[in-house]
Amino acid sequence: MSTSSLLLTLLGDARLPSGGHAQSAGLEPALRAGTTAAQVPAYLRARLRTVIRVEAGTAVVARAVAAGGGDLGEVEAAWAARTPSQALRANGRRLGRGYLRVLQTLWPGPFDARAGTWSRPVVLGLLAHRAAMAPADVARLVGYDDVQSVTAALLKLEPQDPLVIAAWVKDLLPDIDEMAAQVAPLHTPEQIPAHGAPLIERWAETHDTTTERLFSA
Amino acid sequence: MPENTTAPTRAMRLGVAGPVGTGKSSLIATLCQALSGELRLGVITNDIYTDEDARFLKSAGVLDPERIRPVETGACPHTAIRDDVTANLLAAEDLEADFGPLDLVIIESGGDNLTATFSPALVDAQLFVLDVAGGGDVVRKGGPGIARADLLVINKTDLGPYVGVDVERMAREGREARRGSPVVALSRHDAASIRVLTSWVRDTLTHYRTGEHTPVDPGPMAPHFHADQDGEGSHPHTHDDGTDHARYQAAANAGQSA
Repeated sequence: MSTSSLLLTLLGDARLPSGGHAQSAGLEPALRAGTTAAQVPAYLRARLRTVIRVEAGTAVVARAVAAGGGDLGEVEAAWAARTPSQALRANGRRLGRGYLRVLQTLWPGPFDARAGTWSRPVVLGLLAHRAAMAPADVARLVGYDDVQSVTAALLKLEPQDPLVIAAWVKDLLPDIDEMAAQVAPLHTPEQIPAHGAPLIERWAETHDTTTERLFSA
Repeated sequence: MPENTTAPTRAMRLGVAGPVGTGKSSLIATLCQALSGELRLGVITNDIYTDEDARFLKSAGVLDPERIRPVETGACPHTAIRDDVTANLLAAEDLEADFGPLDLVIIESGGDNLTATFSPALVDAQLFVLDVAGGGDVVRKGGPGIARADLLVINKTDLGPYVGVDVERMAREGREARRGSPVVALSRHDAASIRVLTSWVRDTLTHYRTGEHTPVDPGPMAPHFHADQDGEGSHPHTHDDGTDHARYQAAANAGQSA
């Protein structure tokens, strides 16, 4: 099974109106807590090994469960159990509503009444099923979107040469592919990885109550 | 009673756009003060760097603070009201879910520039705010908000004498730029001007509810010039749908090469 590369481009494009432009993927609070711009590639690798592995694994499993006619509510519960920060869960569900709007318009069809409460990876899994995306590709999409969210936010928070940042993204592409290959075979909620990143989770909680901020998360 | 299937089921969304410092937040506070007794209101603010506008409105005491929600814009206020309205739409849905039904949700744009206007995917009607302190010439500079917002507000008219601006002339030039579409010369110290503004909001809401109001996109494109192929000199113009531009340009080019 292969996904249209143009479909993947469409979904990974920052111009897709899914609400992502106000996301820093945790970078804004990370910088406030003392992370330096030079550490951002390491920050991204840490995310790809932890919270993003959970997100991508959830999306892959949601796609498999949707394809089998199973209950996506169970996938949502498994994601929530692996996302201890209340702020990250709330943000993930806001993003899910954004992607639901994309899904409803681009791939219309009947929806579970609970879909409006599902997180981004669960909605993306449903989208991947409707759009006939390969499992590894929805995982790659999750990883790529996260890397681009962080680096685009860095240009607003600590402006520098955008091409230097683009080179960081390019250098991270193999890491994204590796992460995606590892979660692609997953099928059931209990297989979703349960890696934690306590600092990222704590920073997300702090950011949730910060009043002067550029990004919602 | 016949069922009106075209009547909208949600609150009217009113956008308030305009450059930084023209008095958008103050205007919204004025609207809330004047209308909260008769309409069920909610407010969404789009700040660029802070939640300053939401805090100002909450501290103004004109509306239950819970009904005022700030939305982050990722340092792109124009994106949040046009290219990707997701965060604002979700905030409007949440306000209605939490306090609904509401009559009117007012959405304040982050103060941007003369080209930033709301997409009809987000708002049903919008007003564009300029102020006399920004200079009497701003209205002549044009732009989609000045020319084609549902209402142009020329704010802080009480400051006219102090900044050397002829308010009457500015309002007249605004009407000319808008080809007769409404202009309100507003001062929060002038009760009559506030009544003109609130009457416009009430009338627009009435038309929205009966299905007579059609959201209009002021368009991202400012009025601009082409070389006139008839040799009568250039003239400014706008396009309603953008489709005439290529044809017009092609004609102009043909005229130049002939």
